[in-house]
Amino acid sequence: MSAFVKTVCLAQKLCAANPVVARQAIRSMAGWNKDYKPGPYPQTEKERLAAAKKYYLLPEEYKPYADDGLGYGDYPKLGYGLGVEAKDSYYPWDYPEHKRNQHEPISADHDLYSEDRWSQAEPPRYSNAYYFACFLGVMSGCLALYYWLDDKKMYRPVAAKQYPSPGVKHYTFEK
Amino acid sequence: MGNALTHYMKPDVMPGPDVVPTFDPLLGFKSRKERVMIATQEEMESAKLPLEFRDYCAHLAIAYQACRSDTFPFVYKCAHQKHEYLTCEYEDYVLRMKEFERERRLLERQKRLNKAA
Repeated sequence: MSAFVKTVCLAQKLCAANPVVARQAIRSMAGWNKDYKPGPYPQTEKERLAAAKKYYLLPEEYKPYADDGLGYGDYPKLGYGLGVEAKDSYYPWDYPEHKRNQHEPISADHDLYSEDRWSQAEPPRYSNAYYFACFLGVMSGCLALYYWLDDKKMYRPVAAKQYPSPGVKHYTFEK
Repeated sequence: MGNALTHYMKPDVMPGPDVVPTFDPLLGFKSRKERVMIATQEEMESAKLPLEFRDYCAHLAIAYQACRSDTFPFVYKCAHQKHEYLTCEYEDYVLRMKEFERERRLLERQKRLNKAA
């Protein structure tokens, strides 16, 4: 406690001696996390429009999280484009490292959806029926080839190896 | 492996894998030298020679293995025996190739004769 009191006394003396210190200290306090906190849930239409403008969204695009005690105040809920990985790498983004444009709203779960973590899957190129047909085509083609060629073996053009056994005569090609 | 393709396209004149000759071995020969088995059954059994090596080169296989067990670990001394044995196996393989070709040509001849008759 005495250390705290001493620190306060020192600060008071410094501020009295040089008012610039006090101004600088207040400037340094700007940009606290409370400044980034979303506002309260918009109740009226006017508040709704003001919140949409605050987040650079069109009023018809703006949709806050449900105010059920687990929401994020007036922070907008984004149901699309969460995966940074799925975004175009060659588009001239304002912030290429985050693939984000100026004033583009970011998801409340942005730390989860950053490029090195999770991504929303892209929709597949073809329908599931097409993929299944491809699978069946490849598998049945391979199986058909397998069963068709099952009794058609490659072999070297040689006769059976000759083993001596009683009653069997083998000959060379010499006279 | 064109022989396999020919076998499945013309099965009547192209013998299959490991064919056992069907014609008289002396057909077209005045006389033909018989193959001689030098190693006896007792020798092969005593040397515990595996069944697949009990062919007409068995005596050389036994000599090679005996040399190896005598000179181990200096088995380079058995280079001569090894060369003799492998040469014998090579000649055996060439003989099998010749038998296959003889069978093929005789089949073609038989087909030609059947057609003429």
